Amino acid sequence: MEDLAGYKGRALRVLSRAGASIGDVLESRTEWGTVEGTLVPRYEGGDDRHVVLKLKSGYNVGLSLATLKSVAVKAKGEKPAFLPPRQPRPRSGLQRVLVIGTGGTIASRVDYRTGAVGPAISAADLNSLIPELSDVARIEPEILLNILSENMEPSHWSSLSRRVGRGVREGYSGVVVTHGTDTLGYTAAALSFALRGVPIPVVLVGAQRSSDRPSSDATQNLIAGVSVAASAPFSGVYVAMHLCESDDSIAIHRGTRVRKNHTSRRDAFVSVDVPLAAVWRKGRLESVADGLPKRGEGVGFTPKARFDGRAALLKFHPSMDGSLIRAAQKGGVRALVIEGTGLGHVSAKVTSAVCAFVKAGGVAFMTSQCGRGMVDLNVYDTGRQLAKAGVTPLKDMLAETALVKAMWALGNTKNTREAAALMAQNIAGEMTPRRFPR
Amino acid sequence: MTALEGGKRAGALVGLEIHQQLASAHKLFCACPIAKSEELPFSFERRLRPSQSETGGMDPAAVFEFAKGMSNTYLWNPESSCLVEADEEPPHGLDDEALDIALQVAVMLHSNVVDEVHVMRKIVIDGSNTTGFQRTAVLGLGGHLEVEGKRVGVQSVTLEEDAARLVGEDRSSRRFALDRQGVPLVEVALDPVKGDPEYVASVALSLGRALRSTGRVARGLGTIRQDLNVSVMGGRVVEVKGVQKLPLLPKVVAYEVSRQLGLIAVASRLSERGFAAVECTVVDSQGVLASTGSRAIRGALEKGGKAVCIAAGGLGGLMGWEPHPGVRLGREVAEVARANGLGGIVHSDEFPKQGVSQSEEAELRRLCKASADAALVLVAGPADSVDRAVPQLIARLKAAPSGVPAETRGATESGESRYMRPRPGAQRMYPETDIPEVKVERERLAAVGRLVPERWEDAVERYRRTYRLSLDLAAKVLDSDYAETFERLARKLKLEPSLVASTLVDLPQRLAREGVPESGIGELTLERVLVAVDKGEIAKEAAPDVLRSMGRGESRSPGEAAGKLGLRSMDSASLARLIDAVMLKGAALVDQKGEGAFSPLMGEVMAEARGRADGAEVSRLLKGRLADFMAERKGSGRSVR
Repeated sequence: MEDLAGYKGRALRVLSRAGASIGDVLESRTEWGTVEGTLVPRYEGGDDRHVVLKLKSGYNVGLSLATLKSVAVKAKGEKPAFLPPRQPRPRSGLQRVLVIGTGGTIASRVDYRTGAVGPAISAADLNSLIPELSDVARIEPEILLNILSENMEPSHWSSLSRRVGRGVREGYSGVVVTHGTDTLGYTAAALSFALRGVPIPVVLVGAQRSSDRPSSDATQNLIAGVSVAASAPFSGVYVAMHLCESDDSIAIHRGTRVRKNHTSRRDAFVSVDVPLAAVWRKGRLESVADGLPKRGEGVGFTPKARFDGRAALLKFHPSMDGSLIRAAQKGGVRALVIEGTGLGHVSAKVTSAVCAFVKAGGVAFMTSQCGRGMVDLNVYDTGRQLAKAGVTPLKDMLAETALVKAMWALGNTKNTREAAALMAQNIAGEMTPRRFPR
Repeated sequence: MTALEGGKRAGALVGLEIHQQLASAHKLFCACPIAKSEELPFSFERRLRPSQSETGGMDPAAVFEFAKGMSNTYLWNPESSCLVEADEEPPHGLDDEALDIALQVAVMLHSNVVDEVHVMRKIVIDGSNTTGFQRTAVLGLGGHLEVEGKRVGVQSVTLEEDAARLVGEDRSSRRFALDRQGVPLVEVALDPVKGDPEYVASVALSLGRALRSTGRVARGLGTIRQDLNVSVMGGRVVEVKGVQKLPLLPKVVAYEVSRQLGLIAVASRLSERGFAAVECTVVDSQGVLASTGSRAIRGALEKGGKAVCIAAGGLGGLMGWEPHPGVRLGREVAEVARANGLGGIVHSDEFPKQGVSQSEEAELRRLCKASADAALVLVAGPADSVDRAVPQLIARLKAAPSGVPAETRGATESGESRYMRPRPGAQRMYPETDIPEVKVERERLAAVGRLVPERWEDAVERYRRTYRLSLDLAAKVLDSDYAETFERLARKLKLEPSLVASTLVDLPQRLAREGVPESGIGELTLERVLVAVDKGEIAKEAAPDVLRSMGRGESRSPGEAAGKLGLRSMDSASLARLIDAVMLKGAALVDQKGEGAFSPLMGEVMAEARGRADGAEVSRLLKGRLADFMAERKGSGRSVR
């Protein structure tokens, strides 16, 4: 029953019998007195033995059916609804920026039924909630998806890439993609490959605190993202997230070198083994890295938006045997990205399973679970055997980036051999030739 | 009419909200210990924005704070805060110990404990919480407290987290220490009582005593805070926040009642003049005021600021009118300007005094098309502050006919109140979805219910019986922060309990009156001095001097202080020598007065010893020596040696 959201079992029966709906003012007689309050939704995880009322003071309290003597509707109420404020009028003379909404914390509100944070605010709402955006650029918001990023699939990367491709033809100065942070790094890598040579900046923006909170990081991340999209001197795919705990500095990461490195901090995203592309501080871009593609380069660009999801990422660990690899092969996996130990190693048992996988027509790639540094299959025997078996070492490519690239390579080549060759090429800055002491 | 009489006559009502820090080991939503950090080596900076509540509205107080455009810097130390306070990690579950203590308070106050506790987010975006909200949960509804034999109703018992500590502020930013954020507080909201200031204070005192009787709440300055909801007949409820010291409470109540009555008097004057509403017009006035004699306005303009004139119909002569001492509409409007970072206002009732000339006034009136009965309000300062303040100033002026506007005010050190922001609404509460609801099991409630604390009155009686303290001293100790310390030391030391008690509660007060910093005489210092007396290292007579020296930071230990002041206890040989010398000098007196010489000799010895000897000890020795001396004199009939 929709008008008693979240209530079930005995509580639902008691409330239905009283003719109550969410938002009604109820008078509840308990063993110790009468409590008056507005019926609010029950979290789905809650039991069926309590009724939750919002008191006049705004507080919610849970009353047990065991102490409840009677419930009566005192006044019918309105269901709470989110009312987005009016959108600011676009200012003339500013760059046009396409803001594509995909969901995630940055576009989320509390769901009072489940009690969890869920995607709800549209990109248009964001624009009206952050009126400052209209001073930075002419925002044209559009909702492409409304999903949590853990539900993101290669097919979504494809539609996103195609939409950005159209955006380039439509003459936008830049594109901002709002995205959940959990798989933001994967999508950034996917767009980096699919949009290789894109002549404008494409900036993915997330938030670690939902935008319905006063302390949300969405605001500053979004302002920085829009500002980079509108007027940065470089093109390509980037991620804009907090540089540190403070709101004043936003890091601009390269799409293929970025990783979510913390579960909850605002500065969860780090650029691994490469300098930041830039830092946006108090309204200005600083410390722009050398060697970024220039805005406007890559005329005649067309996105290569196909992905073939039949790739898997496998983290090697002690006690692993070949069964997972055999199962993957049976399940149709064509490319296997391994996160090996150290320089890129797996046990003898797993080595032979990998050999069999390659012999059967699959391709296998090696990255390291160390998180930083090169893989090298020439230093130890195990490595040499893997190399002999046909495993391609991917230098310092991040494992997640390697997985995404494998899906993209499979989707844009005729066979696994061509895909393997494409994997070894540096397409979008995913491999770096030099690393430096810290 | 005094404020007190006014309070009684005007049907003034005061609702008390007491916030008491709990003595739990950890903060409410993380594993951090509760500690004040002197050093705050790390910092970060944030801005908070108002957000919509679950019902779709925005809280007016939150919008007001955001409009100020303040940025917040948070200072922290890992010894007292972690990622949770920094809003960089989701809150952990409600701390069990804190919940138990708060439940105990609810049971003690006969409050009806809810079956399921729901933690809420209360939007507060003045920067005092990194999250932009305070986490808070109602535990109990209803109940009562006994005050002077009568019941005062309890509205609710709430468990909540404390805010960060404001350590600095300027026009565009605030600095907060995170050590206090997340510290558990219990809030007890009482039914409104009649606004007699003394009675309100005694209600607060009774509630404070009841809370402290649990033995599980924190003590010391800043661990208890009173907020007041004050209203008079015909006015609206005004919230006055942050009365930290009980003696200020009656003053704040009296001031607030008087202020509200004054504002109602202004409203009725306005109504007598036939104004049901105040119409306002606004003009830029830097042109007219470019060379004004008003220093405040010229100063602002010289710094590149702007000046605006607001004409408010019907309020001429009422801005400066003082229906009650210190209560003027002009002052109220100036407070709104100050809350927006401006220096204040200049209004037409004080133009001559402030240096605004008649020709300037005439020109301003012409520009505003204001008639003679209108008040002019000038406001000058940085353009952004002026632009932000003007709509609020107009709103305040327009509220004049309704008398007392509903607002949130802050208590001042002097016992007055200052405008802070509009009153928040229910729009500011929404559920804290990071924390699942907590069921209060009957067994848990029964367990905390068994910990019924000793009532304050019973404790006073026990102190009189067990420690032989006077009624007055027993009450003082129990109301002080040192009740537990007293009991511990009275049992541990050989000293008279009344000496321990008066050293703990009377001496610090006496020294504070002399200007010795209170912070210098803490519990540890007092205990060290008492232990030194107990060990005979210093005489009890030396305790005040030793404490004064330590309190002023001149010495670090009782020994060092005694050494510096020449107050180290005399050893028995020196004391015997001193007594001998005094006896020798006073031989004639003894011959003349016999035992009657004891008192003057005693005085002489104590004066010579200057606090280095214990009076009882001197008395014992002197009595013995005097007896010996007289026996010798009788026996020999000669003078000694």
